[in-house]
Amino acid sequence: MIKVDSLVKRYGDLLALDHFNLEIHKGEIFGLLGPNGSGKTTAINCMLSLLKYSKGEIHLFGEPMRCDNYSLKKRIGVVTQNVAVFNELTVVENIEYFCGLYVFNRARLKTLVDDAIAFSGLEDYRKFLPKKLSGGLLRRLNIACGIAHQPELIFLDEPTVAVDPQSRNHILEGIRKLNANGATVVYTSHYMEEVEQLCTRIMIMDKGKAVATGTKEELKAMIRTGEKLTAEVYSLSEPILNEIRNLNGLFHAVYENDLLTARHAAGGNHLALVLDILQRNNVAFRRVTSEPPTLNDVFLEITGKELKD
Amino acid sequence: MFWNIYKKRILISLRDKDILIWAWLFPLMLATLFHFAFANLDASGTLKTIQLGVIDNAAYQQDLNFQNVLESVSGESEDSLFKLWSLKNQEEADDLLENGEIDGYVIYEDMPLLMISTNGLRQTIIKGFLDRYLQTKDSVLRLIEENPEAYLILPELLTPLNYTERILLSNSTQTKTVGYFYALLAMACLYGGFQGLTVISQMQANLSAVGARVTVSSAGRFRLVAYDLLGGLTTHFLQILTLVAYINFALGISFGSQLWFVLFTCLISSLLGISFGAMISATSKLKEQVKIAILIVISNICCFLAGLMIGDINYVVMQKAPVVAWLNPAARISDAFYCLYYYDNYERFFLNIGIIFSMAIAMLVITAFFVRRQEYESL
Repeated sequence: MIKVDSLVKRYGDLLALDHFNLEIHKGEIFGLLGPNGSGKTTAINCMLSLLKYSKGEIHLFGEPMRCDNYSLKKRIGVVTQNVAVFNELTVVENIEYFCGLYVFNRARLKTLVDDAIAFSGLEDYRKFLPKKLSGGLLRRLNIACGIAHQPELIFLDEPTVAVDPQSRNHILEGIRKLNANGATVVYTSHYMEEVEQLCTRIMIMDKGKAVATGTKEELKAMIRTGEKLTAEVYSLSEPILNEIRNLNGLFHAVYENDLLTARHAAGGNHLALVLDILQRNNVAFRRVTSEPPTLNDVFLEITGKELKD
Repeated sequence: MFWNIYKKRILISLRDKDILIWAWLFPLMLATLFHFAFANLDASGTLKTIQLGVIDNAAYQQDLNFQNVLESVSGESEDSLFKLWSLKNQEEADDLLENGEIDGYVIYEDMPLLMISTNGLRQTIIKGFLDRYLQTKDSVLRLIEENPEAYLILPELLTPLNYTERILLSNSTQTKTVGYFYALLAMACLYGGFQGLTVISQMQANLSAVGARVTVSSAGRFRLVAYDLLGGLTTHFLQILTLVAYINFALGISFGSQLWFVLFTCLISSLLGISFGAMISATSKLKEQVKIAILIVISNICCFLAGLMIGDINYVVMQKAPVVAWLNPAARISDAFYCLYYYDNYERFFLNIGIIFSMAIAMLVITAFFVRRQEYESL
């Protein structure tokens, strides 16, 4: 469906995409995950032929993507990061306008607009101007405008920024529905939980490069951390911390702000061993948790920095 | 697709408060203000009939020639030079003069003497008239004295010889007021730039999020821009028509009798305004507010030079810097309206229309050159 080979994009001296490669298959919900400035939006804008690039090739549906390839553009839907609607048009007029750029048959246009309104749950707001909508409803309108013509390939660039939890769930559910109806989805976000919940495959990006690609299980399998242990501990001395650090299979332990955090490889009984050390040394503790690694842990271990929400 | 884009652009334009205020309400308000400010402008330059008193004494009664001459230029109508007040005595004349009811009076003794209480244009005119009468009378008397036969051809001698012919360029009244209103209309037309500016901003991916969405769609670039600009032009043209109707019917400013040509001028001038805004928007990446400021400043300078604030400045510019005058879109638009109002031939009108249309096309070509891009270095 999408093939990007060795894409290089520069903004002056800044290298925004550094020999970026990507392959997305039909029917996937593909997540591009990375911190702000990692190159996610630039990559999408290059794929959409909005941005010129210095080097590389982009193929969509097996054809080279060019800005004047209107037959390809007809099969694509875009939900931009910034809400892109006309403030002077109502909900229904906005959807009609953008859908009308792809569909010229009036009867078909009307059906598609009604479907998009139903899909985005905006039936009660058909005649509302955008300024009367809440942030969440506005995002839904933004999505409806991008997908009303029922494209085969949909780019969603951070569609849930600044929305309430109810609208966020509605949006994520909608994306699953679009995918179930046959659309391939490219989804960018810096909310790792969203990407983890939604995407069938994920690419983690940093500094314009793909640092890891795979399913969430594959990504987690790429790192040493098999389990992450945290405990609220009061007054942990350096010798006791060192004893914990010396446990076999435990490769990272820090104590900060009364919180002990330790990472260890999968398998083994590290939780019991750590608690045993604390008890033996009469160290008070509470709220002990042990959980599998998140995508943040993957990002942290690969890049050495946190992937912040 | 045409109807979808065209109709939506009209809706957007009609609901855009900035466009409504600047391109429609502001000129309407300014027109109303002009109406009250310039109500007496034309009347202030008109010379009203001079009130002249004549003391009806025996000497005056005996000089029939003087009586005939005075009566030939006097009457009750506004076109008459004098309105004669026949007065019984000097006391009555002095009273009227003091009260300002007459501008001066003539007392006839050996010759007509003028009595005035103040100096001014009207008094100068009376004095000039009397001097001319006395000179002519003196010349005729001397001629007859030297050659009595000349008396027979006296009427011919007294008939003034005209070496020039007066040709009327227009049947319309010459008035300064219309110039201000036509310059105001030119300003309103140039403010169509708001429409053009908005349309292009909403078509360019590097200028707005809507522009990015439109650019990635499968709609052809030029068709999209053309349909959208056409929608903007329609709205602006209608706004200009309401302004013309208001100025004409409510404020009583004439546009002459060439209705279709007035509408045609409105249409071409609206096109120029739209193209002007589109060009400003397409050629730079400045913030929209900055572009609006540029649009307003340029439009106002053009309108100032076309006589919006100082009526005669367009004539001064035409004399001192004719190139600037001919290339000033506001001056050409107001002059086109003036040609329709004042001149009975279309030569100058079509020259103006040709210049306005050429400017609009040039601006659209420049806009198209920049708008053709669909890929950008940065967004």
